[in-house]
Amino acid sequence: MVDKRVKTCGEALVELLQAYGIEVVFGIPGVHTVELYRGLPNTRLRHITPRHEQGAGFMADGYARVTGKPAACFIISGPGMTNIITAMAQAYSDSVPMLVISSVNNSHELSLGQGRLHELPSQRELVAGVSVFSHTVARPDELDQVLARAFAVFDSARPGPVHIELPLDVITAPATFVGAGAIGKRYRPGPSRAAIADAVALLKAAERPFIVLGGGAQNAANEARRLVERLGVRTALTVNAKGVLARGHPLSLGSRLPQKPVLDAIQAADMVLAIGTELGETDTLLFDDQLRINGQVIRVDIEPEQTTRNVLPSMSICADAALTMQALYDALADFNPFDHRAVVAELRRASDGLAPAAYRAHGRFLDLVAETLPDVIIVGDSTQPVYGGNLFYETAGPRRYFNSSTGYGTLGYGLPAALGAKLALADTPVVSLIGDGGLQFTLAELATAVELELAVPILVWNNKGYGEIKRYMVDRDIPTIGVDIYTPDFIAVARGFGCLATTVSTRAEFIEALQDADSASKPTLIDIPEELALDW
Amino acid sequence: MHTEAHLNVGEATIKLLEQYGVDTVFGIPGVHTLEFCRGLNKSSIHHVQARNEQGAGFMADGYARASGKPGVALVISGPGVTNALTAVGQAYADSIPMLLLSADAASYTLGKGLGCLHEVPSLTDTTAPLTAFSAIAMNAEEVPLLLARAFSVFSSERPRPVHIAIPTDVLEMPVETDWEVPELPMRPAPTAKKIERACELLRNARQPMICVGGGACLAGDAITKVAERLGAAVIGSINGKGIVPDTHPLSLSAGTVRREVQQYLQQADVVLAVGTELSEVDSFEETLEIPGKIIRIDIDTRKMNDIYPSEVAIIGGARASCEAIANRLGEVKARAETVTEVARIRREFRTRLDAGQLRHCKVLDVLREALPDETIIMADVCQLVYTGTFAFDVGKPRLWNYPGGYCTLGSGLPDAIGARLARPETPVVTFAGDGGFMFTVQELVTGAELGLALPIILWNNEGLKQIQDDMILREIELVGVTGINPDFIALAQACGCHALRIDSAEGLVEAINTAFNADRPTVIEVRERDPWLN
Ligand SMILES: Cc1ncc(C[n+]2csc(CCOP(=O)(O)OP(=O)(O)O)c2C)c(N)n1
Ligand SMILES: Cc1ncc(C[n+]2csc(CCOP(=O)(O)OP(=O)(O)O)c2C)c(N)n1
Ligand SMILES: [Mg+2]
Repeated sequence: MVDKRVKTCGEALVELLQAYGIEVVFGIPGVHTVELYRGLPNTRLRHITPRHEQGAGFMADGYARVTGKPAACFIISGPGMTNIITAMAQAYSDSVPMLVISSVNNSHELSLGQGRLHELPSQRELVAGVSVFSHTVARPDELDQVLARAFAVFDSARPGPVHIELPLDVITAPATFVGAGAIGKRYRPGPSRAAIADAVALLKAAERPFIVLGGGAQNAANEARRLVERLGVRTALTVNAKGVLARGHPLSLGSRLPQKPVLDAIQAADMVLAIGTELGETDTLLFDDQLRINGQVIRVDIEPEQTTRNVLPSMSICADAALTMQALYDALADFNPFDHRAVVAELRRASDGLAPAAYRAHGRFLDLVAETLPDVIIVGDSTQPVYGGNLFYETAGPRRYFNSSTGYGTLGYGLPAALGAKLALADTPVVSLIGDGGLQFTLAELATAVELELAVPILVWNNKGYGEIKRYMVDRDIPTIGVDIYTPDFIAVARGFGCLATTVSTRAEFIEALQDADSASKPTLIDIPEELALDW
Repeated sequence: MHTEAHLNVGEATIKLLEQYGVDTVFGIPGVHTLEFCRGLNKSSIHHVQARNEQGAGFMADGYARASGKPGVALVISGPGVTNALTAVGQAYADSIPMLLLSADAASYTLGKGLGCLHEVPSLTDTTAPLTAFSAIAMNAEEVPLLLARAFSVFSSERPRPVHIAIPTDVLEMPVETDWEVPELPMRPAPTAKKIERACELLRNARQPMICVGGGACLAGDAITKVAERLGAAVIGSINGKGIVPDTHPLSLSAGTVRREVQQYLQQADVVLAVGTELSEVDSFEETLEIPGKIIRIDIDTRKMNDIYPSEVAIIGGARASCEAIANRLGEVKARAETVTEVARIRREFRTRLDAGQLRHCKVLDVLREALPDETIIMADVCQLVYTGTFAFDVGKPRLWNYPGGYCTLGSGLPDAIGARLARPETPVVTFAGDGGFMFTVQELVTGAELGLALPIILWNNEGLKQIQDDMILREIELVGVTGINPDFIALAQACGCHALRIDSAEGLVEAINTAFNADRPTVIEVRERDPWLN
């Protein structure tokens, strides 16, 4: 039994989390984590209980993508951890900060293989592969150190999930040696003067430059806009960089990266400036054409290894995107700018003309959502309109469009991640866009949405099956198997959960349903039969 | 690319699985597994479409528990594998044979961190801690070797999951040879010397007892014979429940959680422990007090000297070893008092029950009456099931299942689907708590799609009651344990199932009988606070 006069590590932990600015904890309590909850009511931390730990992870992901800040997850040993791994992997692929705190068996039992409750031969090893780091707290006095390390990552490195596990005996140990409070302000690394001088020289020598901005530039929209305008150079955004140049910016190609005219232009460029991007296939490869760069390449990234992936750089700068773009802007005061506005307009026209009709229709569908709910944040899954949206949809600012078709490419993300986003931004319209197949992966989180009374319209793109996979089977001449799945009546399902629910068959009905859903007092599932929605 | 002349690796892998006797695979197709799908179309293997790969993994687990054959899950790389991990962990903890067959990213991208679709730094590192082994086939001819290795684990070692990943480019490679099933090894037989030492201890024992675990499922007859000849009481682990029928006069059922059983175990001077870890999950005690000398029979050498060091350590298959003991035991006088003692303890099981457990027993008694003896129970972790472990009798091994070791939530329904498919002639039911049921509720849709007659007893106590109780016990303010439940009836019906709420014992019996004859699953909601349970 715990002596209640002495503060435990579990209690010290929640105080530290609060000191570091954590606001929300997602978790399903279990015997192994109950002691993490002892101190919770004495803090301002808000606790949310999802219906599966995968939901906890996806919610924390959605929360972080709209705020830029990590949320915490409290996860039980063993099954809780194996349940959350997919969500951690999605966050890992898309560089989303997330703090996963779990229990683990008593420190004197680890690795003994005694068949203890929730036991794993090595939980840490299991999680290490999808975390920036994973640490077992062996002694109470490590607690404040390891949290400092976690926030050093969140604030100054390429973000991603961090896993900290506390053995049962450490959670209840007296927190005598745990330092209180957060470490001081953390600054991010800037570029060296030499690096900027070299980059400027390359930029000045360029005749056909091209800029690619990635998710690493999300916090640098102002710096990016000013730099791009000073250079006057055509710029493409990855999906996670949408809005870094606002919709309608004359130098922005949006996210048309994987389209042939844009890929051709990149190949023909003599200089490519790539900032905060992996140049990974989920952003560059959609049709038959691959990314090829023949010219010089400057890569800027907070993580050194990132500057070598997929495309080797001529020079690289390992530094914060905002600081680097600011420094480049300052150093380019006398730059004689290009004027790529006409080039951009032409590339857009050419790309849009080539795109399959369905992609364009999907793009228009998303535009309709944004026209109906200005300022909307669209949280997507891996479903048909999302692929079109990835190409064509544009936002007014960063952090307003993201989904799980990039990076890890999992299913079932779109619902819980939207809930996490809405929790963070209660006054902003947040829409979940998910396929009938994807929704079934995390269906139970509808119950969480009802419990939290979140007014999230859940747009179910319903083609009664795994449309994307069916398309591939047909392409490869494989008789279809396992893709025409039995689809439940989603309206009845949603009502069973206590959601509002409606099906729409016309554009006008859709607009009305969307507006109603956004101002409702609970979640609304809007069933959208694919065949009807294609020409809205 | 694919040519007609040769099978490619995807197709040949499926064909080889067929030769290994695989008749069902559980999974969700994706772009990365298309070449497996090409093979499935040409084979007799039944592909069952889950709604989340976690469900597919649990179904494979349930299939294996019910059939004794390895369950196979077929999933995409990345999220397909990570979604299945909890099911793999459960199979690992409970020693269930399972093959997780997945795609992997193209071999030339592995380890480079290029940010490919579905990429993790190392897929097999992720599964390594949960499996007997996990490996990537980097070329075509490795696949039959890896499968041979997997099936050798299943046939001769402590069963555990195996993960084999095949990169997409390897899946498309042509196969030049005919792949065949090799000779598979058997479990090792015990040595005569060790058996003799065990017999000697048992012969001279004043009060011998027998503990049986999941590793002894095939040794029931031999263990019963040894128990009867010695007059030894038999205690099952969760996975050992029913190996000696719960109704046998020497059986203490899976009663290790009960204090009277723990105290009784302390009186033993010799304990024969067969295929059991003597784990804390069966007793809820960090260590049991076992002053007697322990004879351990196991095929896992690492189990011989863990928390409870063995006096005699026998490496061997449970059945062969117990038969050898029965044969070599010779003249012994059965301890006469045991039957009376066991009967007394069994009566005590029904005393010192808290208010919740009393309600559980009412429901469990009705269920035991209503369910045919051979019914397979694939339960979820919930309070009703904790009580059932000692208060619900079964007459054969593997009829009572819940994932006591890994203790995850949500495995009950998909495990039951897997069991139902493995043993179409046998009745299967699941018991689940309202909280745990939500973890895999979408698999109702799978059950409906398959048209399975499957009663689902939904034990609704309005929240995560076990954890509420733990918090109350520790004087922690309740946080996060009292969620809002859906309307389970409407939800189940919307998923294509039948559903009803019952409010009497007769109602429950009738609902079960109807459910066994239905063309789809039936959710039968039983509410803890209903007056008929007062
Ligand atoms: C966890 C996981 N399993 C399987 C896949 C493979 N997969 C990719 S898209 C897709 C189909 C999804 O269907 P739905 O959500 O209905 O979207 P649609 O393509 O029909 O719009 C599948 C099964 C995946 N990406 N992730
Ligand atoms: C994946 C997972 N998450 C959390 C837990 C912790 N846990 C154990 S029992 C339990 C309560 C389950 O609630 P319910 O199914 O309603 O059963 P009850 O205890 O109410 O009978 C919880 C949350 C777990 N075992 N597995
Ligand atoms: Mg409950």
